[in-house]
Amino acid sequence: MTTARKLTEPVMGQVDADGLLLSADPLLMQLHLRCGGAEGGPLAVPELAELCRLSRRLGMNLSRPVQASDDDCRIEMWVETRFTSSEKQQPLSLSIIDWKEYPDDDSDKMDPARERDFDRLEGRGAIRTDAALRIIVQQMPGESAQNADAVGQSLLDIYDVIPPSAHARLLEAVAERQPIRNQRMRAKIGAQRLFMLHGYPLIDKLGLFAGYRFTAMPDDPASDPEAGENDIKPVGRKLISDSLFGLQLGPALRQPLGKIIANAETISAKLEGPLRGDYASYAKDIASAGRHLLDLVNDLSDLEAIERPEFTVAGDDIDLVDLAHRAAGLLAVKAADHQIRMELPDEGEKLPASGEFRRSLQILVNLIGNAIRYSPDGSAIKLCVSVEDGFSRISVTDQGDGIAEDDQERIFEKFERLGRSGDGGSGLGLFISRRLARAMGGSLTVDSAAGEGSTFTLSLPTQKKP
Amino acid sequence: MAEQVFPMDRTKHVDIIRHASAMADKAAFVADDFARALFPRTDVVFNDRMRSNARQYLRSAVGSVETRICQIATRDLGVTHEKLLSIGEGADGQSFAVLEHSGLLNTVEIVQHLFVKTQQSELAARLLQKISQQDLESTLTRHLDDEDPVVAEAAMGLLVAQSKTTGATGEIAASLADLPPEIVFAFAWPVTAALARLTGFPGQQLQQAAERLLAAHDESNGVARKAERLAQLLDQSGTDKDCVPHPMRDGLTLFVARLARQSGLSTDQIITFTAEPNMARLVVVMRAINIPVQDALSIFAALDGGDHILTAATYGETDRDRSRALVSRWASPSAYRNAERILSSDLLGDQGK
Repeated sequence: MTTARKLTEPVMGQVDADGLLLSADPLLMQLHLRCGGAEGGPLAVPELAELCRLSRRLGMNLSRPVQASDDDCRIEMWVETRFTSSEKQQPLSLSIIDWKEYPDDDSDKMDPARERDFDRLEGRGAIRTDAALRIIVQQMPGESAQNADAVGQSLLDIYDVIPPSAHARLLEAVAERQPIRNQRMRAKIGAQRLFMLHGYPLIDKLGLFAGYRFTAMPDDPASDPEAGENDIKPVGRKLISDSLFGLQLGPALRQPLGKIIANAETISAKLEGPLRGDYASYAKDIASAGRHLLDLVNDLSDLEAIERPEFTVAGDDIDLVDLAHRAAGLLAVKAADHQIRMELPDEGEKLPASGEFRRSLQILVNLIGNAIRYSPDGSAIKLCVSVEDGFSRISVTDQGDGIAEDDQERIFEKFERLGRSGDGGSGLGLFISRRLARAMGGSLTVDSAAGEGSTFTLSLPTQKKP
Repeated sequence: MAEQVFPMDRTKHVDIIRHASAMADKAAFVADDFARALFPRTDVVFNDRMRSNARQYLRSAVGSVETRICQIATRDLGVTHEKLLSIGEGADGQSFAVLEHSGLLNTVEIVQHLFVKTQQSELAARLLQKISQQDLESTLTRHLDDEDPVVAEAAMGLLVAQSKTTGATGEIAASLADLPPEIVFAFAWPVTAALARLTGFPGQQLQQAAERLLAAHDESNGVARKAERLAQLLDQSGTDKDCVPHPMRDGLTLFVARLARQSGLSTDQIITFTAEPNMARLVVVMRAINIPVQDALSIFAALDGGDHILTAATYGETDRDRSRALVSRWASPSAYRNAERILSSDLLGDQGK
């Protein structure tokens, strides 16, 4: 996508024999200042300055393409240099006849805030360190806010490396800028929680190592004999029930699936060396199938959890508009793949509600994910917020085939797929979402007619119950 | 034994003696010339036609610069020197003969330019075996109706510039307006010095004439820049996005400019690639920018001068990721590539390891 600035008149400027920018039209002056230049100082746009130097050295008028970078965009220009007179010391005139701005092509990079949303949604923590492994940001599962005390401290001062891994092995991997997988660590302070760390090195725009981004999964206490010995309370994964699936099968499946996904992603991203394009593509398919299986395991775990009588959810103060934006952000790539436009409430708006942050986000991700899955390519999905009778409501409207009236209650039943198959769904999402909404004192309803799209509405109490 | 004396008639043999002296001066370079011919360091084959064209082009470029300097000196600066007047009025120039063996024209910049122009002329000749000159010229007319007036205007500019420089079929001549500024600069000062030496005219006014020539040169009028600008506008406007660059649809100049634009390489590099055996690097560039197989085969056939064939299998098996990595490496500054090559070669021995 380009931001074209149709130049009705060329952008003009004048540079003297010493390379100082004598005068410039606002657009050029703005770029010059943003590139670190000063008014009346040396022209600070590197390629433009180089063109002026060449023009002056040759004593000739040049006409060439020039590129410049602004904070968030790349600018392509076509520049002509003109000598105003035959005097060598006379100013050189710059005339920019084309000016086209392109947003920085960082589409492959994920916004860190979006990554943290993914982590929170899946009950993972996130740690970002600098090149010396000092913590820059830390957000662990079960903690509502970032842990400011840890910031600035070395990762190894806060966490112990748990055998069989060794300190040296971790440092060796860091020294070689290798991805770190399945590294067990224990917090030195507080509840001495156990985590499984996965991390990948970050490379900055200059190509230099800039630190690590770790995800921290609370480590399963059942599979950790040390934890039992030390009587450490199990933390995180509150949804995993004590039943066979939640406590045993779930973790047993998650771990190998996690390894399959991590390795397949490493292969597909060619992090460990060049690879033929089609093999990288197979690895992507493996990662995708692995994620689907992991989703199913998570759904089944959730299913067991919500069916337990003691299941409860937290009553956090949440903002449904903020949640709508976060959920839409998580699914932005999926929507873009299908050219689906998402219409969201104005970011400046606020709609307070009471409910558990992660669970509410989970419901919205499920609703928007379904809307994307069952909407035609190129259509729009609309998210609207409202308040009614002490309930804050957020609705997700799609332009899909709609649901017949007879089926509208059935879709909230367990494993009900209305005869669909092969689209990646498990038939548990809406069942779980409705149970979660009810557990938070709210509701999840549908309004639809065959052939006219559907509107799912999540209602949560506006205020906490006393 | 008594010393034998050979009496010589100096007046009669003066030319051959001078010739012999000149030969003696140059004898030291015979081995160099022969070595270059015997042990070329690249795989590019320079046939006699290319050598002849290069000389013809060089002579023409020096001649046009020389003529223009003489015109400025005599018409604008009021110089009345007879020889300068006659050169300015179109008489055969004499600088080339002076400069030819001086080594002043033997700079990397000039020789590289000569090679590119000669190869471009080869490609043009090959294209003309497959499509008529008229059809080639009409390729640009489709852009004249572009809804973006800037694109239409740029296409018109290129058409006009091309029409000014298109000579007779098979003729290779340098147009001063089409010479890149760096090359005009590289020619201007040696030619000025040669003129000063030939005419015995004080250099000051000739230098002023050279400066005026340089200041008056407008790169934006050259065919190459006009093609580059049109390629950039077409790329930006997106109207030609689905249309794969092709020499028979775009014409040679715009095709090269579009390929250069899409690959991040220079137009000179693209032309150089077409001179290499099997046009291997051109194939890699096409693969890197994802030119569909049928178009790639057709482009290869249009530009190939021998009986080489690019097959769909070969093209399909060329790994795209590796091609992109290679093209990205070739797009780095030439000074960097040179330094990298020198540092990675065995020339440095253990020091470089």
